[in-house]
Amino acid sequence: MDPKVNGQLQKDWGGLIALYLFLGGVGGGAYTIAAINSFLGKSMELSTTVGLWIGFPALLIGSLILVADLGNPSKFILAGLKPGTSWIARGFWIISLFMVFSFLHLVIHEFTDVNQTAGIMTVLAVLGIIFAILTIAYTGLLLGASKGIPFWRSGIVPVLFVISGLVTGHFLTMIGMVVFYEGASTVTQFRTMALEASIVVVVELLAILFFLHAAYKQPDSRESVERIMRKTIFIVGYFILGLGLPFLLMLIIRYTMTASGPGAILAVAFIGALFGLIGGFLLRLAILVCGALPTLNMGGFQFRRIAKPKDLKPQIGLMPPQ
Amino acid sequence: MPQYGMVIDLKRCYGCYACVMACKVKNHTPPEVFWARLLKGERGKFPNTMRQALPVLCMHCEEPSCLEVCPTGATQKLDNGIVIVDKDKCMGCKACIMACPYGARYSVEKWVSYFPEGLPLSDYEKFAKNYWEEKSGCGVATKCDFCLDLIEKDKLPACVEACPANARTFGDLDDLDSEASTLIRKCRGEVLNPELGNKPKVYYLAPR
Repeated sequence: MDPKVNGQLQKDWGGLIALYLFLGGVGGGAYTIAAINSFLGKSMELSTTVGLWIGFPALLIGSLILVADLGNPSKFILAGLKPGTSWIARGFWIISLFMVFSFLHLVIHEFTDVNQTAGIMTVLAVLGIIFAILTIAYTGLLLGASKGIPFWRSGIVPVLFVISGLVTGHFLTMIGMVVFYEGASTVTQFRTMALEASIVVVVELLAILFFLHAAYKQPDSRESVERIMRKTIFIVGYFILGLGLPFLLMLIIRYTMTASGPGAILAVAFIGALFGLIGGFLLRLAILVCGALPTLNMGGFQFRRIAKPKDLKPQIGLMPPQ
Repeated sequence: MPQYGMVIDLKRCYGCYACVMACKVKNHTPPEVFWARLLKGERGKFPNTMRQALPVLCMHCEEPSCLEVCPTGATQKLDNGIVIVDKDKCMGCKACIMACPYGARYSVEKWVSYFPEGLPLSDYEKFAKNYWEEKSGCGVATKCDFCLDLIEKDKLPACVEACPANARTFGDLDDLDSEASTLIRKCRGEVLNPELGNKPKVYYLAPR
């Protein structure tokens, strides 16, 4: 089968859905890191507080974006009435429960005496982590359920999105920590988080390479891989600037800036985290826009889906320019 | 209850687009929406090449992947095997569009005219707009329904009626004596991409 004679790219899920997938990942990732850090006590207090403040609002904004992207937003509640029937219906409840747990965790953490509510916070953190991971995985499972796009139908996509969610969650938390800088203890937390982030970035790199390799081996998704490898947003935006540069800067923060002042560390961390965040969004956008329908085969013929022309507006009836 | 399906003889189809136009005229689909489409394929290497037309429409699969992903129950499979969209239940998530490997589903944000913006709508266009908004609607998934309204009046779908080459045969696939099932049996009807497992109800008789 000639991979060049392949399907039309999907046009129905674009930037807003990519943003929703990104916010689902970053919200779940930031919350997971915050909840894990909350078990480490006061030494990671700022990262815990910042992560908790990111989780719930990110998911809330992401969900509002998803609803806004619906063709018929007033009917969105119907998605929750048939749980278990589809991934969107399951996702409705996964995200809703995550938002409830993360909101309660945030409120109790911020507005109650931590010593008196330690037990309930532990329960909430465990439930929150489970549903945060499910939320990030759901964003990949949503794509994986799309039988019409072979590129997305890979079990690696949810795993990749979970890893990417943890990476971007780290980065957004670091940006929040720059904003709410609390002195020397923040720098110590930065060094810990820089090490964590660089490890997860390496795992993400392995996951994306594995994903692309597996997709390339499938004839129906090969065109998508060829297209994504030619996309500037993917190669430059995600691979080089969104993954490579933050990785390098995180290593610099961890290992070479030992004698630097907090200002320099904050600046490097901010730049690295910002590029990493943009990279996380571009990863999802590139995967979405490179999704192609499978080739149709009959009697030895391969049938190409004709891509939609950019401007379908007919010119008949228009007066020539004066 | 009959199980409706269609057989398309690719030896007869010469790609005249009559089915595409008949569908447009019957269902008043706006620009960019083609419930009945025609794809062109190639085989062989130069100079020994062949071109072939492939009419496609909703395959009304026995195991439709669009049904599996619909979160609201808007996509339904009727007892007669026809897959429909209940526009009043559809929230417009487009998951079914992504799930259909045959690219049979469409969604338009708003109704647009075939003619340049700013021109007044003709009486026909006003009718077409009302028809579309009443039957299918904007912001929701739309697709071929085998012209269910015509079938209920014991008529044939518009694309079948319009085919000048008699390439399309519509009928009850459960009735072994129907013309459609006889053709599938005797002429070895095949479905598109059977490896996908959707079990389409639109069969093709292979080209030469």
